[in-house]
Amino acid sequence: MNSFSITRTGTYLTIQDFGRFHLQHLGISSSGAMDQRVLKELAKVISDHQNQFLEFAYVGPSLKVQEGAIKVSVGGFCKIFVQKRNNTQIEHQPYTSINLFEGDELTIHNTISSVYGYIAIENGLGLKPCLQSYSTDTKAQIGSINRPLQIGDTFQIKKDVSSWEVQSSEGLQNLNQTHFKVYPGPQISYFSDEVIKTFISQPFKISSQSDRMGLRLEGPSLLSHLSHDILSEGILPGSIQVPSNGKPIVLMRDIPCTGGYPKIAILSGEDISKIAQLPPGTVINFDLESQSI
Amino acid sequence: MYFKEINHYGDRGLIIDFGIESSKDISQEINATIIYLKDLKLPALNTIPSYNKIVLHFKNTEDKQKSIQTLEIMMKDFRPLDIKRPYKRWNIPTCYEPQYALDLERVQKFHDLSIQEIVNLHTKKIYYNYYIGFMPGFPYLGEISSKLITPRLSSPRVRIPARSVGIAKEHTCIYPKVSPGGWNIIAQVPFDIFSLDHSRTSLFLPGDEVEFSKVTQSEFEKIQNKNFLFDEIIKEFSQ
Repeated sequence: MNSFSITRTGTYLTIQDFGRFHLQHLGISSSGAMDQRVLKELAKVISDHQNQFLEFAYVGPSLKVQEGAIKVSVGGFCKIFVQKRNNTQIEHQPYTSINLFEGDELTIHNTISSVYGYIAIENGLGLKPCLQSYSTDTKAQIGSINRPLQIGDTFQIKKDVSSWEVQSSEGLQNLNQTHFKVYPGPQISYFSDEVIKTFISQPFKISSQSDRMGLRLEGPSLLSHLSHDILSEGILPGSIQVPSNGKPIVLMRDIPCTGGYPKIAILSGEDISKIAQLPPGTVINFDLESQSI
Repeated sequence: MYFKEINHYGDRGLIIDFGIESSKDISQEINATIIYLKDLKLPALNTIPSYNKIVLHFKNTEDKQKSIQTLEIMMKDFRPLDIKRPYKRWNIPTCYEPQYALDLERVQKFHDLSIQEIVNLHTKKIYYNYYIGFMPGFPYLGEISSKLITPRLSSPRVRIPARSVGIAKEHTCIYPKVSPGGWNIIAQVPFDIFSLDHSRTSLFLPGDEVEFSKVTQSEFEKIQNKNFLFDEIIKEFSQ
Protein backbone atom coordinates (compact mmCIF):
# COMPACT_ATOMS: atom_id res chain seq x y z
CA MET A 1 0.00 0.00 0.00
CA ASN A 2 1.12 3.55 -0.77
CA SER A 3 -0.36 6.61 0.87
CA PHE A 4 0.11 10.35 1.21
CA SER A 5 -1.49 13.10 3.28
CA ILE A 6 -2.24 16.77 2.77
CA THR A 7 0.06 18.67 5.15
CA ARG A 8 -0.80 22.16 3.84
CA THR A 9 -3.90 22.94 1.82
CA GLY A 10 -2.83 26.11 0.04
CA THR A 11 -5.97 27.78 -1.24
CA TYR A 12 -9.05 26.14 -2.59
CA LEU A 13 -7.65 22.63 -2.97
CA THR A 14 -10.24 20.38 -4.66
CA ILE A 15 -10.39 17.26 -6.79
CA GLN A 16 -11.29 17.89 -10.43
CA ASP A 17 -11.49 16.10 -13.77
CA PHE A 18 -12.85 17.04 -17.20
CA GLY A 19 -16.39 17.52 -15.87
CA ARG A 20 -19.67 15.91 -14.86
CA PHE A 21 -22.12 15.76 -17.74
CA HIS A 22 -25.68 14.70 -18.66
CA LEU A 23 -27.11 16.00 -15.36
CA GLN A 24 -27.53 19.74 -15.86
CA HIS A 25 -31.30 19.19 -16.35
CA LEU A 26 -31.36 18.01 -12.71
CA GLY A 27 -29.63 21.18 -11.53
CA ILE A 28 -26.16 19.60 -11.44
CA SER A 29 -23.37 21.74 -12.85
CA SER A 30 -20.69 20.27 -15.14
CA SER A 31 -17.84 21.53 -12.87
CA GLY A 32 -14.40 20.17 -13.88
CA ALA A 33 -10.94 21.73 -13.94
CA MET A 34 -10.86 25.48 -14.56
CA ASP A 35 -7.92 25.11 -17.00
CA GLN A 36 -8.45 21.83 -18.83
CA ARG A 37 -5.41 22.39 -21.07
CA VAL A 38 -3.19 21.67 -18.06
CA LEU A 39 -4.90 18.32 -17.42
CA LYS A 40 -4.34 17.29 -21.05
CA GLU A 41 -0.68 18.27 -20.81
CA LEU A 42 -0.23 16.44 -17.48
CA ALA A 43 -1.78 13.33 -19.03
CA LYS A 44 1.27 13.17 -21.32
CA VAL A 45 3.49 12.84 -18.25
CA ILE A 46 1.25 10.68 -16.02
CA SER A 47 -0.87 8.65 -18.42
CA ASP A 48 -2.57 6.53 -15.75
CA HIS A 49 -4.04 9.45 -13.78
CA GLN A 50 -7.47 7.82 -13.37
CA ASN A 51 -9.04 11.25 -14.02
CA GLN A 52 -8.40 12.24 -10.40
CA PHE A 53 -6.45 15.51 -10.31
CA LEU A 54 -5.85 18.01 -7.51
CA GLU A 55 -6.60 21.65 -8.35
CA PHE A 56 -5.41 24.66 -6.34
CA ALA A 57 -5.72 28.41 -6.79
CA TYR A 58 -2.92 30.91 -6.11
CA VAL A 59 -1.17 28.99 -3.31
CA GLY A 60 -0.18 25.37 -3.76
CA PRO A 61 -0.50 22.58 -1.18
CA SER A 62 2.04 20.31 0.51
CA LEU A 63 1.74 16.52 0.27
CA LYS A 64 3.70 14.08 2.44
CA VAL A 65 4.18 10.42 1.59
CA GLN A 66 3.16 8.35 4.64
CA GLU A 67 3.80 4.90 3.27
CA GLY A 68 5.44 3.39 0.18
CA ALA A 69 6.10 5.60 -2.84
CA ILE A 70 4.13 7.61 -5.39
CA LYS A 71 4.78 9.35 -8.68
CA VAL A 72 3.28 12.77 -9.36
CA SER A 73 3.55 15.67 -11.79
CA VAL A 74 2.62 19.31 -11.27
CA GLY A 75 1.04 21.48 -13.96
CA GLY A 76 0.96 25.28 -13.90
CA PHE A 77 3.41 28.14 -13.41
CA CYS A 78 4.85 27.61 -9.96
CA LYS A 79 7.97 26.67 -8.06
CA ILE A 80 8.03 23.10 -6.78
CA PHE A 81 10.21 21.75 -3.99
CA VAL A 82 10.64 18.35 -2.41
CA GLN A 83 11.94 18.09 1.14
CA LYS A 84 13.65 14.70 1.41
CA ARG A 85 13.65 12.71 4.63
CA ASN A 86 17.24 13.82 5.33
CA ASN A 87 16.14 17.48 5.04
CA THR A 88 17.79 18.20 1.70
CA GLN A 89 15.58 20.24 -0.59
CA ILE A 90 15.33 19.59 -4.31
CA GLU A 91 13.65 21.86 -6.84
CA HIS A 92 11.56 20.30 -9.62
CA GLN A 93 10.04 21.63 -12.81
CA PRO A 94 6.37 21.57 -13.83
CA TYR A 95 5.33 18.87 -16.31
CA THR A 96 8.06 16.46 -15.23
CA SER A 97 7.42 13.34 -13.19
CA ILE A 98 8.52 13.43 -9.56
CA ASN A 99 9.16 10.26 -7.56
CA LEU A 100 8.25 10.64 -3.90
CA PHE A 101 9.23 8.13 -1.24
CA GLU A 102 8.14 7.57 2.35
CA GLY A 103 8.77 10.75 4.36
CA ASP A 104 9.22 12.99 1.31
CA GLU A 105 7.17 16.18 1.30
CA LEU A 106 6.20 17.99 -1.89
CA THR A 107 5.49 21.71 -1.55
CA ILE A 108 4.12 23.91 -4.31
CA HIS A 109 4.53 27.66 -4.01
CA ASN A 110 2.37 30.43 -5.49
CA THR A 111 1.13 30.30 -9.06
CA ILE A 112 3.11 32.95 -10.97
CA SER A 113 1.15 35.44 -13.14
CA SER A 114 -1.63 32.86 -13.30
CA VAL A 115 -4.28 31.38 -11.01
CA TYR A 116 -4.73 27.60 -11.17
CA GLY A 117 -2.29 24.73 -10.79
CA TYR A 118 -2.78 20.96 -10.84
CA ILE A 119 -1.25 17.73 -9.57
CA ALA A 120 -1.61 14.40 -11.36
CA ILE A 121 -0.86 11.25 -9.36
CA GLU A 122 -0.04 7.95 -11.04
CA ASN A 123 -2.87 5.44 -10.42
CA GLY A 124 -5.11 8.27 -9.19
CA LEU A 125 -6.23 8.96 -5.63
CA GLY A 126 -8.13 5.73 -4.95
CA LEU A 127 -11.50 7.49 -5.14
CA LYS A 128 -14.91 6.36 -6.31
CA PRO A 129 -16.71 8.58 -8.83
CA CYS A 130 -19.79 10.53 -7.76
CA LEU A 131 -22.40 10.74 -10.55
CA GLN A 132 -19.84 9.55 -13.10
CA SER A 133 -17.23 12.17 -12.22
CA TYR A 134 -14.56 12.88 -9.60
CA SER A 135 -15.04 16.66 -9.75
CA THR A 136 -15.93 18.59 -6.62
CA ASP A 137 -18.71 21.16 -6.70
CA THR A 138 -18.33 22.66 -3.22
CA LYS A 139 -21.43 24.82 -3.46
CA ALA A 140 -23.71 21.90 -4.35
CA GLN A 141 -21.69 19.56 -2.10
CA ILE A 142 -21.27 17.01 -4.85
CA GLY A 143 -18.09 15.07 -5.56
CA SER A 144 -15.96 12.04 -4.67
CA ILE A 145 -14.97 14.33 -1.80
CA ASN A 146 -17.68 16.98 -1.66
CA ARG A 147 -15.65 19.75 0.04
CA PRO A 148 -12.27 21.45 -0.32
CA LEU A 149 -9.50 19.19 0.99
CA GLN A 150 -8.24 19.65 4.54
CA ILE A 151 -4.98 19.07 6.36
CA GLY A 152 -4.80 15.40 7.28
CA ASP A 153 -6.84 14.12 4.32
CA THR A 154 -5.06 10.90 3.34
CA PHE A 155 -5.20 9.00 0.07
CA GLN A 156 -4.44 5.30 -0.30
CA ILE A 157 -3.05 4.15 -3.63
CA LYS A 158 -3.06 0.38 -3.95
CA LYS A 159 -1.10 0.03 -7.16
CA ASP A 160 2.67 0.58 -7.13
CA VAL A 161 4.47 3.06 -9.37
CA SER A 162 5.08 1.50 -12.80
CA SER A 163 8.51 2.98 -13.52
CA TRP A 164 10.93 5.39 -11.87
CA GLU A 165 12.06 6.77 -15.23
CA VAL A 166 11.58 10.52 -15.33
CA GLN A 167 9.03 11.57 -17.92
CA SER A 168 8.21 15.07 -19.04
CA SER A 169 6.27 17.06 -21.59
CA GLU A 170 6.80 20.45 -23.15
CA GLY A 171 4.23 22.04 -20.90
CA LEU A 172 2.14 25.10 -21.66
CA GLN A 173 3.50 28.50 -22.53
CA ASN A 174 2.11 31.28 -20.39
CA LEU A 175 0.79 33.31 -23.30
CA ASN A 176 -1.44 35.44 -21.09
CA GLN A 177 -3.92 36.03 -23.84
CA THR A 178 -6.03 39.05 -22.87
CA HIS A 179 -7.93 39.61 -26.11
CA PHE A 180 -10.90 37.28 -26.53
CA LYS A 181 -13.09 36.62 -29.52
CA VAL A 182 -16.66 36.07 -28.38
CA TYR A 183 -19.82 34.90 -30.14
CA PRO A 184 -23.16 36.71 -29.82
CA GLY A 185 -25.11 35.57 -26.74
CA PRO A 186 -28.76 34.47 -26.92
CA GLN A 187 -29.90 37.93 -25.70
CA ILE A 188 -27.51 40.16 -27.66
CA SER A 189 -30.60 41.95 -29.00
CA TYR A 190 -31.27 43.12 -25.43
CA PHE A 191 -28.34 45.50 -25.90
CA SER A 192 -28.29 48.51 -28.21
CA ASP A 193 -25.64 48.92 -30.91
CA GLU A 194 -24.08 51.59 -28.75
CA VAL A 195 -23.79 49.27 -25.72
CA ILE A 196 -22.36 46.50 -27.92
CA LYS A 197 -19.84 49.01 -29.26
CA THR A 198 -18.84 49.82 -25.67
CA PHE A 199 -18.53 46.10 -24.93
CA ILE A 200 -16.06 45.51 -27.78
CA SER A 201 -14.15 48.81 -27.67
CA GLN A 202 -13.62 49.31 -23.93
CA PRO A 203 -11.32 47.31 -21.64
CA PHE A 204 -12.66 45.34 -18.68
CA LYS A 205 -10.78 44.39 -15.53
CA ILE A 206 -11.12 41.01 -13.81
CA SER A 207 -12.34 41.69 -10.27
CA SER A 208 -11.06 39.98 -7.14
CA GLN A 209 -14.60 38.68 -6.60
CA SER A 210 -13.98 35.84 -9.01
CA ASP A 211 -14.06 32.11 -8.37
CA ARG A 212 -14.90 28.74 -9.94
CA MET A 213 -18.44 29.95 -10.61
CA GLY A 214 -17.64 33.13 -12.45
CA LEU A 215 -15.33 36.06 -13.13
CA ARG A 216 -16.81 39.43 -12.32
CA LEU A 217 -15.67 42.21 -14.63
CA GLU A 218 -15.17 45.87 -13.78
CA GLY A 219 -15.58 48.45 -16.50
CA PRO A 220 -18.28 50.43 -18.25
CA SER A 221 -21.87 49.46 -17.39
CA LEU A 222 -23.64 47.46 -20.08
CA LEU A 223 -27.27 48.39 -19.58
CA SER A 224 -30.06 46.75 -21.53
CA HIS A 225 -32.77 48.95 -23.06
CA LEU A 226 -35.20 46.00 -22.62
CA SER A 227 -34.67 44.16 -19.34
CA HIS A 228 -32.10 42.48 -17.13
CA ASP A 229 -34.67 39.91 -16.02
CA ILE A 230 -35.46 37.18 -18.56
CA LEU A 231 -37.33 33.89 -18.15
CA SER A 232 -34.70 31.52 -16.73
CA GLU A 233 -33.03 29.30 -19.31
CA GLY A 234 -30.16 26.82 -19.56
CA ILE A 235 -26.70 28.40 -19.58
CA LEU A 236 -23.30 27.22 -20.77
CA PRO A 237 -19.85 27.90 -19.30
CA GLY A 238 -18.19 30.90 -20.95
CA SER A 239 -21.45 32.85 -21.18
CA ILE A 240 -21.16 36.56 -20.35
CA GLN A 241 -24.29 37.55 -18.45
CA VAL A 242 -25.23 41.05 -17.38
CA PRO A 243 -27.28 41.62 -14.18
CA SER A 244 -29.17 44.86 -13.61
CA ASN A 245 -26.08 46.71 -12.30
CA GLY A 246 -24.63 46.43 -15.83
CA LYS A 247 -21.47 44.67 -14.63
CA PRO A 248 -20.80 41.59 -16.77
CA ILE A 249 -19.98 38.18 -15.27
CA VAL A 250 -18.15 35.47 -17.24
CA LEU A 251 -19.68 32.18 -16.08
CA MET A 252 -17.10 29.48 -15.44
CA ARG A 253 -17.13 25.75 -14.52
CA ASP A 254 -19.35 25.63 -11.38
CA ILE A 255 -22.08 27.25 -13.41
CA PRO A 256 -25.56 27.92 -12.06
CA CYS A 257 -27.52 25.48 -14.27
CA THR A 258 -30.17 27.97 -15.35
CA GLY A 259 -30.17 31.73 -15.15
CA GLY A 260 -32.40 34.73 -15.59
CA TYR A 261 -29.93 37.41 -16.71
CA PRO A 262 -29.50 38.35 -20.37
CA LYS A 263 -26.31 37.02 -21.98
CA ILE A 264 -24.59 39.48 -24.28
CA ALA A 265 -21.94 37.04 -25.54
CA ILE A 266 -20.20 33.70 -25.03
CA LEU A 267 -16.50 32.77 -25.15
CA SER A 268 -15.24 29.94 -27.33
CA GLY A 269 -14.86 26.64 -25.47
CA GLU A 270 -11.07 26.80 -25.56
CA ASP A 271 -10.91 30.33 -24.19
CA ILE A 272 -12.65 29.35 -20.93
CA SER A 273 -9.42 27.62 -19.81
CA LYS A 274 -7.36 30.65 -20.92
CA ILE A 275 -9.41 33.33 -19.17
CA ALA A 276 -9.51 31.18 -16.00
CA GLN A 277 -5.76 31.72 -15.59
CA LEU A 278 -5.89 35.54 -15.59
CA PRO A 279 -5.38 36.95 -12.08
CA PRO A 280 -7.68 39.67 -10.70
CA GLY A 281 -6.62 43.07 -11.99
CA THR A 282 -5.85 41.79 -15.50
CA VAL A 283 -7.30 44.03 -18.21
CA ILE A 284 -9.05 42.21 -21.03
CA ASN A 285 -10.78 43.09 -24.31
CA PHE A 286 -13.53 41.43 -26.28
CA ASP A 287 -13.99 41.15 -30.00
CA LEU A 288 -17.34 40.05 -31.43
CA GLU A 289 -17.39 37.29 -34.06
CA SER A 290 -20.35 36.90 -36.36
CA GLN A 291 -22.11 33.69 -35.43
CA SER A 292 -22.30 31.42 -38.46
CA ILE A 293 -19.88 28.61 -37.59
CA MET B 1 -46.75 23.22 -32.16
CA TYR B 2 -44.78 25.91 -30.39
CA PHE B 3 -41.37 24.98 -31.84
CA LYS B 4 -39.93 27.98 -33.68
CA GLU B 5 -36.33 27.51 -34.71
CA ILE B 6 -32.86 26.29 -33.86
CA ASN B 7 -30.30 28.97 -32.95
CA HIS B 8 -26.58 29.02 -32.25
CA TYR B 9 -25.25 29.51 -28.72
CA GLY B 10 -21.54 30.09 -29.25
CA ASP B 11 -19.24 27.47 -30.76
CA ARG B 12 -20.48 24.57 -28.59
CA GLY B 13 -24.15 25.27 -28.04
CA LEU B 14 -27.51 25.20 -29.75
CA ILE B 15 -30.86 26.52 -28.57
CA ILE B 16 -34.12 24.93 -29.65
CA ASP B 17 -36.50 27.86 -29.38
CA PHE B 18 -40.21 27.54 -28.54
CA GLY B 19 -41.05 31.27 -28.57
CA ILE B 20 -41.08 33.88 -25.86
CA GLU B 21 -44.15 32.87 -23.85
CA SER B 22 -44.30 30.45 -20.94
CA SER B 23 -47.12 27.96 -20.34
CA LYS B 24 -47.75 24.38 -19.31
CA ASP B 25 -48.54 23.50 -22.96
CA ILE B 26 -45.18 24.85 -24.12
CA SER B 27 -43.39 23.03 -21.31
CA GLN B 28 -45.14 19.76 -22.18
CA GLU B 29 -44.01 20.12 -25.78
CA ILE B 30 -40.46 20.78 -24.54
CA ASN B 31 -40.48 17.72 -22.29
CA ALA B 32 -41.84 15.59 -25.17
CA THR B 33 -39.09 16.99 -27.42
CA ILE B 34 -36.47 15.89 -24.87
CA ILE B 35 -37.77 12.29 -25.09
CA TYR B 36 -37.72 12.55 -28.88
CA LEU B 37 -34.13 13.88 -28.86
CA LYS B 38 -32.95 10.91 -26.77
CA ASP B 39 -33.63 8.60 -29.72
CA LEU B 40 -31.59 10.79 -32.08
CA LYS B 41 -28.44 9.93 -30.12
CA LEU B 42 -26.97 13.39 -30.58
CA PRO B 43 -23.46 13.68 -29.05
CA ALA B 44 -24.65 16.29 -26.52
CA LEU B 45 -22.97 16.68 -23.11
CA ASN B 46 -26.06 18.28 -21.63
CA THR B 47 -29.67 18.81 -22.69
CA ILE B 48 -31.22 21.51 -20.54
CA PRO B 49 -34.97 22.29 -20.66
CA SER B 50 -36.48 25.49 -19.29
CA TYR B 51 -39.79 27.39 -19.76
CA ASN B 52 -39.49 27.92 -23.52
CA LYS B 53 -36.09 26.66 -24.64
CA ILE B 54 -33.90 23.60 -24.78
CA VAL B 55 -30.17 24.33 -24.58
CA LEU B 56 -27.83 21.70 -26.00
CA HIS B 57 -24.17 21.65 -24.91
CA PHE B 58 -21.62 19.89 -27.14
CA LYS B 59 -18.02 18.96 -26.49
CA ASN B 60 -16.78 20.86 -29.54
CA THR B 61 -17.84 22.64 -32.73
CA GLU B 62 -17.53 19.44 -34.75
CA ASP B 63 -20.11 17.58 -32.62
CA LYS B 64 -22.37 20.60 -32.79
CA GLN B 65 -22.12 20.85 -36.60
CA LYS B 66 -22.91 17.16 -36.97
CA SER B 67 -26.04 17.65 -34.87
CA ILE B 68 -27.49 20.78 -36.51
CA GLN B 69 -28.48 19.02 -39.72
CA THR B 70 -30.06 16.06 -37.93
CA LEU B 71 -31.96 18.43 -35.68
CA GLU B 72 -33.21 20.62 -38.55
CA ILE B 73 -34.59 17.59 -40.38
CA MET B 74 -35.98 15.79 -37.34
CA MET B 75 -37.65 18.83 -35.77
CA LYS B 76 -39.60 19.36 -39.01
CA ASP B 77 -41.20 15.94 -38.55
CA PHE B 78 -41.74 16.23 -34.82
CA ARG B 79 -45.33 16.04 -33.57
CA PRO B 80 -45.43 16.64 -29.82
CA LEU B 81 -48.71 14.76 -29.28
CA ASP B 82 -47.06 11.54 -30.42
CA ILE B 83 -45.12 11.30 -27.17
CA LYS B 84 -46.55 10.90 -23.70
CA ARG B 85 -43.94 11.32 -21.02
CA PRO B 86 -44.01 8.68 -18.28
CA TYR B 87 -44.40 11.36 -15.61
CA LYS B 88 -45.28 10.83 -11.98
CA ARG B 89 -47.93 12.55 -9.91
CA TRP B 90 -46.79 13.29 -6.38
CA ASN B 91 -48.81 13.90 -3.24
CA ILE B 92 -46.37 15.38 -0.74
CA PRO B 93 -47.18 15.64 2.99
CA THR B 94 -46.48 19.22 4.01
CA CYS B 95 -46.47 20.94 7.39
CA TYR B 96 -47.50 24.61 7.51
CA GLU B 97 -46.88 25.05 11.27
CA PRO B 98 -45.28 28.42 12.21
CA GLN B 99 -41.87 26.92 13.09
CA TYR B 100 -41.45 25.88 9.42
CA ALA B 101 -43.43 28.70 7.79
CA LEU B 102 -40.87 31.48 8.23
CA ASP B 103 -42.65 33.95 5.92
CA LEU B 104 -46.30 32.97 6.38
CA GLU B 105 -46.99 36.13 8.33
CA ARG B 106 -45.46 38.30 5.60
CA VAL B 107 -47.53 36.53 2.92
CA GLN B 108 -50.61 36.88 5.15
CA LYS B 109 -50.13 40.62 5.51
CA PHE B 110 -49.27 41.10 1.83
CA HIS B 111 -52.54 39.52 0.66
CA ASP B 112 -54.69 40.12 3.74
CA LEU B 113 -55.53 36.41 3.95
CA SER B 114 -55.86 34.10 6.94
CA ILE B 115 -53.34 31.28 7.43
CA GLN B 116 -56.12 28.81 6.70
CA GLU B 117 -56.88 30.56 3.39
CA ILE B 118 -53.22 30.52 2.35
CA VAL B 119 -52.90 26.80 3.18
CA ASN B 120 -56.12 26.06 1.28
CA LEU B 121 -54.95 28.02 -1.77
CA HIS B 122 -51.57 26.30 -1.76
CA THR B 123 -52.90 22.74 -1.30
CA LYS B 124 -55.87 22.90 -3.65
CA LYS B 125 -53.82 23.00 -6.89
CA ILE B 126 -51.86 20.38 -8.75
CA TYR B 127 -48.58 21.92 -9.85
CA TYR B 128 -46.62 21.16 -12.97
CA ASN B 129 -42.83 20.80 -12.68
CA TYR B 130 -41.47 23.05 -15.42
CA TYR B 131 -37.83 22.25 -14.88
CA ILE B 132 -35.10 21.73 -12.28
CA GLY B 133 -32.57 24.51 -11.74
CA PHE B 134 -30.91 26.88 -9.29
CA MET B 135 -29.49 23.99 -7.26
CA PRO B 136 -29.48 20.17 -7.58
CA GLY B 137 -33.05 18.86 -7.47
CA PHE B 138 -34.77 22.26 -7.06
CA PRO B 139 -38.17 22.08 -8.84
CA TYR B 140 -39.89 25.09 -10.42
CA LEU B 141 -43.59 24.28 -9.86
CA GLY B 142 -46.45 26.31 -11.25
CA GLU B 143 -48.69 28.07 -11.44
CA ILE B 144 -49.85 29.04 -7.98
CA SER B 145 -53.23 30.67 -7.39
CA SER B 146 -53.24 34.29 -8.56
CA LYS B 147 -54.32 35.19 -5.00
CA LEU B 148 -50.98 33.91 -3.67
CA ILE B 149 -48.60 35.64 -6.08
CA THR B 150 -45.98 37.27 -3.83
CA PRO B 151 -42.72 39.01 -4.75
CA ARG B 152 -39.41 37.55 -3.63
CA LEU B 153 -37.95 38.81 -0.34
CA SER B 154 -36.29 42.16 -0.99
CA SER B 155 -33.21 40.91 0.85
CA PRO B 156 -32.63 37.17 0.36
CA ARG B 157 -32.41 34.99 3.47
CA VAL B 158 -28.85 33.76 4.13
CA ARG B 159 -29.92 30.32 5.31
CA ILE B 160 -33.12 28.59 4.30
CA PRO B 161 -33.54 25.20 6.02
CA ALA B 162 -33.44 22.11 3.78
CA ARG B 163 -36.88 20.78 2.68
CA SER B 164 -38.51 24.23 3.00
CA VAL B 165 -41.45 25.00 0.71
CA GLY B 166 -41.38 28.47 -0.86
CA ILE B 167 -43.50 30.68 -3.09
CA ALA B 168 -42.37 33.55 -5.33
CA LYS B 169 -44.13 35.18 -8.25
CA GLU B 170 -46.20 32.51 -10.05
CA HIS B 171 -44.21 29.55 -8.70
CA THR B 172 -43.74 27.32 -5.71
CA CYS B 173 -40.65 25.26 -4.88
CA ILE B 174 -38.96 22.98 -2.37
CA TYR B 175 -35.36 23.65 -1.26
CA PRO B 176 -33.49 20.30 -1.44
CA LYS B 177 -30.69 21.52 0.83
CA VAL B 178 -29.82 24.39 3.12
CA SER B 179 -29.29 27.40 0.88
CA PRO B 180 -29.46 31.16 0.68
CA GLY B 181 -32.56 32.27 -1.20
CA GLY B 182 -35.30 34.80 -1.69
CA TRP B 183 -38.50 32.74 -1.83
CA ASN B 184 -41.19 33.20 0.83
CA ILE B 185 -41.05 30.11 3.05
CA ILE B 186 -44.52 28.83 3.98
CA ALA B 187 -44.03 25.16 4.95
CA GLN B 188 -41.69 22.16 5.09
CA VAL B 189 -41.76 18.59 3.74
CA PRO B 190 -40.65 15.63 5.92
CA PHE B 191 -38.06 13.98 3.64
CA ASP B 192 -35.19 14.72 1.26
CA ILE B 193 -36.03 15.38 -2.38
CA PHE B 194 -32.46 14.91 -3.68
CA SER B 195 -30.35 11.79 -3.21
CA LEU B 196 -27.00 10.71 -4.59
CA ASP B 197 -27.84 7.11 -3.60
CA HIS B 198 -30.72 6.68 -6.04
CA SER B 199 -30.52 6.50 -9.84
CA ARG B 200 -33.27 9.12 -10.07
CA THR B 201 -31.12 11.64 -8.08
CA SER B 202 -33.90 14.23 -8.12
CA LEU B 203 -37.26 13.09 -6.68
CA PHE B 204 -39.12 15.35 -9.11
CA LEU B 205 -38.34 15.30 -12.82
CA PRO B 206 -39.38 17.88 -15.42
CA GLY B 207 -42.97 17.10 -16.45
CA ASP B 208 -43.99 15.57 -13.10
CA GLU B 209 -47.02 16.91 -11.22
CA VAL B 210 -46.92 17.79 -7.53
CA GLU B 211 -49.69 18.29 -5.01
CA PHE B 212 -49.12 19.39 -1.40
CA SER B 213 -51.21 17.85 1.41
CA LYS B 214 -51.39 19.50 4.78
CA VAL B 215 -50.30 17.31 7.71
CA THR B 216 -50.21 18.06 11.43
CA GLN B 217 -47.01 18.49 13.39
CA SER B 218 -47.23 14.94 14.82
CA GLU B 219 -47.95 13.34 11.42
CA PHE B 220 -45.03 15.31 9.99
CA GLU B 221 -42.66 14.11 12.71
CA LYS B 222 -43.87 10.53 12.29
CA ILE B 223 -42.96 10.57 8.58
CA GLN B 224 -39.71 12.42 9.29
CA ASN B 225 -38.66 9.75 11.79
CA LYS B 226 -39.15 6.98 9.26
CA ASN B 227 -36.13 8.31 7.30
CA PHE B 228 -37.63 7.10 4.04
CA LEU B 229 -35.37 6.06 1.20
CA PHE B 230 -36.23 7.29 -2.31
CA ASP B 231 -37.82 3.96 -3.31
CA GLU B 232 -40.12 4.10 -0.30
CA ILE B 233 -41.06 7.75 -0.98
CA ILE B 234 -41.83 6.87 -4.61
CA LYS B 235 -44.00 3.92 -3.53
CA GLU B 236 -45.80 5.82 -0.80
CA PHE B 237 -46.30 9.28 -2.31
CA SER B 238 -46.46 8.98 -6.09
CA GLN B 239 -48.54 7.31 -8.77
